[in-house]
Amino acid sequence: MSIRSTLLSTISAGVISVAGSAVLAECATPIKVGVLHSLSGSMAISETTLKDAMLMLIDQQNAKGGLLGCELEAVVVDPASDWPLFAEKARELLTVNKVDVIFGNWTSVSRKSVLPVIEELNGLLFYPVQYEGEESSKNVFYTGAAPNQQAIPATDYFLEELGVEKFALLGTDYVYPRTTNNILESYLKDKGIAAEDIFVNYTPFGQSDWATIVADVVALGEDGKQVGVISTINGDANIGFYKELAAAGISADDIPVIAFSVGEEELSGLDTSNLVGHLAAWNYFQSAESEVNKYFIAAWKAFAGKERVTNDPMEAHFIGFNMWVNAAIEAGTTDVDAVRTAMYGQEHPNLTGGTAVMLPNHHLAKPVLIGEIQADGQFDIIIQTSEVPGDAWTDFLPASAVLKSDWKDLGCGMYNIETETCVQLTSNY
Amino acid sequence: MMQARGSYLGVNHVPVFQLIERLNMRSALFALILMVCGVPAVTAQTFQPILQTYASEIVKPSRKTVGATIDAITASGLPQITFFLEQWSEKNIWQRNDGTFFVATAAGDSLTLTDVDTQATTTAPKSDFKQLKPNGGVRRLIGTALVQFQLLDPDLSRRETAVASIARRPEAAQLAPLLASIGGEVDEALKARKTQLANFMSASFATDTQDRIAAINSLSADTSVEARAVLNQILTTTTGVASLAPEGNIAAILDPMVTPDQSYDALVKAKRALPKQTAGDIKKALEANITVGRIAGFPLAQMDDPLMRKAAYTALAAEGRVPVLITPEVRDAALSSHIFYELYAEPNAQITAAAEVARKSANNRVATAQFADLTLDALSLASIFFLAAIGLAITFGVMGVINMAHGEFIMMGAYTGYVVQLFIPNYTVSIFVALPLAFAVTFVAGVVMERLVVRRLYHRPLETLLATFGISIALQQLAKNVFGTQARPLTSPDWLAGAWIVNDVIQISYIRIAIFILALLFLGLIIYILKRTRLGLEVRAVTQNSGMASSLGINPDRINMMTFGLGSGIAGIAGVAIGLYAKVTSEMGSDYIVQSFMTVVVGGVGNVWGTLAGAAMIGFGQKGIEWLNPSNTLAAQTYMILFVILFIQFRPKGIVALKGRAAGD
Repeated sequence: MSIRSTLLSTISAGVISVAGSAVLAECATPIKVGVLHSLSGSMAISETTLKDAMLMLIDQQNAKGGLLGCELEAVVVDPASDWPLFAEKARELLTVNKVDVIFGNWTSVSRKSVLPVIEELNGLLFYPVQYEGEESSKNVFYTGAAPNQQAIPATDYFLEELGVEKFALLGTDYVYPRTTNNILESYLKDKGIAAEDIFVNYTPFGQSDWATIVADVVALGEDGKQVGVISTINGDANIGFYKELAAAGISADDIPVIAFSVGEEELSGLDTSNLVGHLAAWNYFQSAESEVNKYFIAAWKAFAGKERVTNDPMEAHFIGFNMWVNAAIEAGTTDVDAVRTAMYGQEHPNLTGGTAVMLPNHHLAKPVLIGEIQADGQFDIIIQTSEVPGDAWTDFLPASAVLKSDWKDLGCGMYNIETETCVQLTSNY
Repeated sequence: MMQARGSYLGVNHVPVFQLIERLNMRSALFALILMVCGVPAVTAQTFQPILQTYASEIVKPSRKTVGATIDAITASGLPQITFFLEQWSEKNIWQRNDGTFFVATAAGDSLTLTDVDTQATTTAPKSDFKQLKPNGGVRRLIGTALVQFQLLDPDLSRRETAVASIARRPEAAQLAPLLASIGGEVDEALKARKTQLANFMSASFATDTQDRIAAINSLSADTSVEARAVLNQILTTTTGVASLAPEGNIAAILDPMVTPDQSYDALVKAKRALPKQTAGDIKKALEANITVGRIAGFPLAQMDDPLMRKAAYTALAAEGRVPVLITPEVRDAALSSHIFYELYAEPNAQITAAAEVARKSANNRVATAQFADLTLDALSLASIFFLAAIGLAITFGVMGVINMAHGEFIMMGAYTGYVVQLFIPNYTVSIFVALPLAFAVTFVAGVVMERLVVRRLYHRPLETLLATFGISIALQQLAKNVFGTQARPLTSPDWLAGAWIVNDVIQISYIRIAIFILALLFLGLIIYILKRTRLGLEVRAVTQNSGMASSLGINPDRINMMTFGLGSGIAGIAGVAIGLYAKVTSEMGSDYIVQSFMTVVVGGVGNVWGTLAGAAMIGFGQKGIEWLNPSNTLAAQTYMILFVILFIQFRPKGIVALKGRAAGD
C-alpha cells in the first residue's frame, strides 16, 4: 500500500507541476485523505467504485489548487470485506499514515468495527451508505440515508401505491438488515399489518442458493393478499437472488421487490431484461435530471471509462467530500475538531437539483427517490420528494423514540429528551 | 404459455355482494352526473378538455385517488380512450409546459409528438415537456380499466394483457365479459387460461349458488396459488364476541378458557367488561382512599404486602368506592357469560362448507407437492456438491493429498467460461466450447501443481495442506489482478433460462436440471474410467498398494500426476456449471471448499459411491433443516456442520468406508 501511495503522490505531483497553475510550494507535506473501501471479498462489487469515485474527487480538487494551498493525497487501503480488518486498517490510516479524514465503509458491521478506533483516536469518517440509524457518533458524518429517508418512505410506497398487504423482509445476516427489519416490523404493525403477514429471512454474505427462499415468498400469496418483498440483501448475494427471481418468472407486477442496497453498480453485473419493473429506493439515481448531474456523469465517464455508472453512495461521497473541503477552508485547518464545528450548517448542491444541508445530528437532508429498473440497468424515477432531514434515532422503536442527537448545541449524540440528560458520548458498538 | 405461476389475486377483503353493489353504485352515480351535467353527444367531444379537467391527477396520480379520473376517462366513450390509457401505462404521455398532453416517443433530445385528438405528428425539443410516469399501483388500475376494451381486441398480446390484469385484481363486474369472450377466443393457450380464470371468478362472484359450488369443487384439485387464494378469500373470517350467538354463517365457536387472559382482553376491547387492574392501578386506587392513616380499616403500615393491598382493595370495592377487583373467578364468570365466535364473511353456509372441503383437499395436495419440491431442491443441491467434490474425492481418495486449492480450480473453470464468452458471443456454442476447454486448462494446472509442489510433499499431509493453501491464496490474487475484483457475468443460453414448472409449488430452474444431468454424466464417466480403462485399473492398483503396483511395472508418479490432473479437470468443469447458476468472482472457490471436504469426509474417502452418498446426505440434510427453520439460512448451514461433526464421531470413516489393508491404517 505504501508503494501505491508513493506512486500516487508522484503522479499527482507530476500532473500539478505540468499544469503549473496551483501554488503548492507552501505545503511541506500533502494533506492525506484515507480511502477505506473493500476492494476484494463479497462487498467488492459495491465498494470498488467508491474508491474510484474518491480518487476522481481528489484529482478534481487538486486540479483546482488543492486544499489550503496543499495538495491532497489519497491513501487507499483494502480491508477485503473482513470486518476486523476494517478496524486495523482504520488504525493504520490514523496512526501510521496520519490521514486527516477517512472516506469509507459500506456495511454497518464494518462501520461498527471502525467506530471504537476513530472515537479513541479522534478521527473523522464520512460514511456514504444508507444504514439503519440508531447511531450518531461525534466522529462520523453520515452522508447516506437514515431509515426515515429510505426505508420508511419505501414502505409507505408499498402500502399506499402498490397496495401490498403481506411483506417478505429478506436481508443479509448482520446489523443493518436486522435493525432495519426491526424498525419496519414495528412500523408495519403500527400501520395495521398483522404479525403473520410479515415473513422475515436472513442469509449469510455471498449466499447463492435462493430457490427455497424464493419459493417461500411465492407461497406467501396463497391467501390472496398482495405480497411485496423489501430486500436488504447486500453484496454479491444479490446476483443469485435476482437470477432466481428471473428464472422463477416473478414479474414486478405480481410480487414487487424493492431493494435498499442495489444500485446501478450492482445491476451492471446482471442481465436486467428480466428484472424490469422491480424497484429500488435511494436518494439519487444516475438518471436524475439536473445540470450538476450531467457534468458529474461526464467527468466520471472520462475518468473511469465509458461503461461505468454512477450511484447513490458516489453522490454521498461527492457531497461529503465537497462539504469537508469547504469546512476545512472555513476553519482554515484540517484539524478534526475545527472542521467538525465548521461542518454544521454546511450547504452544497446535491446531484438531483436540490441542496444538501449538514444537520447538527451529523446527517444530511436528502430527497427520497424511488425508481424502477429498466432493461439497460438504469432506473426510471417514479417518485422524487423534496429534501427530508435525516433522523438518527427512529421514532418507531420505543427505546430510540425518546433519543435525539445534537452535537452542535447539546454536544451529545444520544440525548434523552424525557430525562433531559446525555445518555453517553461514545457510540454503541 | 399463460401459467398460473406467480400470479394471484390482489383482492381486498370485501365480500362479493358489496363489490357488486359498489360497482353498480359507482357506474350509476356517473351516469347520473353525466345526465345532470348535460354532457353533449359523445361523438362531438374532443379528448383534451377531459384530460385538462383532471390534469393534476393525471400528472401526479396516486393509487387511492386515480380511480375517479380513470372512470371519468372511460365513461367519456371516446374512441381515443384505449390508446391513451395504454400509452399512459407505458409512460409515453408527456405534458407540454402549457399543460397540453401529448403521446410522444423520445429520440435523442427531441420528441415525436402525436396529438391525442387529431393523431397528427410533430416534433419538438424535449426540454419543453415533462414525462408522466404512473407508479405500479396506478398502472394496475389502468390495466383493470382497459380490460373491458382489450378482451375482444384482435391483437393477441392485448388480450393477454387484459387477462393478466383481471387475474391480478378480479372484480365481479369482469366475470360476465370474460365468460362472453371465451367462446370466440382463437388462441388455445389463452382460451385455457380464460376458462381457468373464469372458474376462479365463478367461485367468488357467480350469482347462482350451484354454479359457485361447482366451481369450488373443481378447485380442490388445483394446487396453484391463485386457486388457494380464491378459497382462502371465500373462507375469510372475523372474530367477535357477543352475549348471544350471532346471526349469520358461524365458522366456529371458540372456547375462551383455552387462553383466558387473551380472551378477557378481547372482551375488554369490545367494551363488554372492565379492564383488569394492574398492580399500579391498585396502588393508585388505594392512595386515593387514605383516610386518617388507614385504608378501609386496614393500617397503612401493612400495605407493603401485596396480599394486604388486595384485601384492602376488595374492602373498598365492597363499599362501592372502586370498581370490583377482577379476580380469576370474576374473569371466568365474565368469559362464560359471553360467546366467542368466528363468523364467515360469506353468508351462504353451503358455499363455505364446500370451500372448506376443497381447501382441505387442496392443502393436502400442496403439502405433497411441497415435499416433492423440497426433494427436487435437495437433489439439485446434492448434485452441485457432488460435482464440486468429486475431483477432490479422486485426489484425496487416491493419493491422500489434501488439496486446499481445489476451490480455485473451480474458479479457474468458471473464469475460463467467462473468457470464452468474451470471444464467442453465441451463448450455446460458448458453453459447449467452454466445458472441454475448462477441463483442459485445469487439467494442465493440476498437473503442473502436482509436479512442482505436491510431488515433493508426499506422505507429509500437513506440509501439503499448507503448501496448497498458499497456492490457493496466490491463485485468488492472480485472478483478482487479471480479471478485477468485480463479479463477472457468465450467461446461460436461452434454452437454459427459465424453469421447469410442474405447478405453482413444484418448480426447478433448467440450469439446476442441467447441473444434475452433468453430475450423473460424470458419475458414469468416473465409474467407467475407473472400472473399464487401463488408466482406471492402474489408479486403483496404486490406491490399494503403491509399492506392489510399481513392482508390477506401473509408474506411480505418472499415475499420481494423471489422477491429480483428472481431479482438477473435473473441478474445472464443475466451475463452469457453478458459474452459470451462481456468480463468477475470485473468491467463489472458498464458498465450495468447505462443502467439498465435508462431502468427501462424510461420504468416505477413496470411493466414488461414498462421495455420492456424502453429497446426498449433506444436500438433503441442509434442505431439511432449511425447511424446519425458513427464516435463517445461516443457522441451517451451522446445524448441518454440527450434524456432520456428530456423524463423524460415530462413523469416522464415513458412509462408505474402505476396508482391509487398503484403508491405510
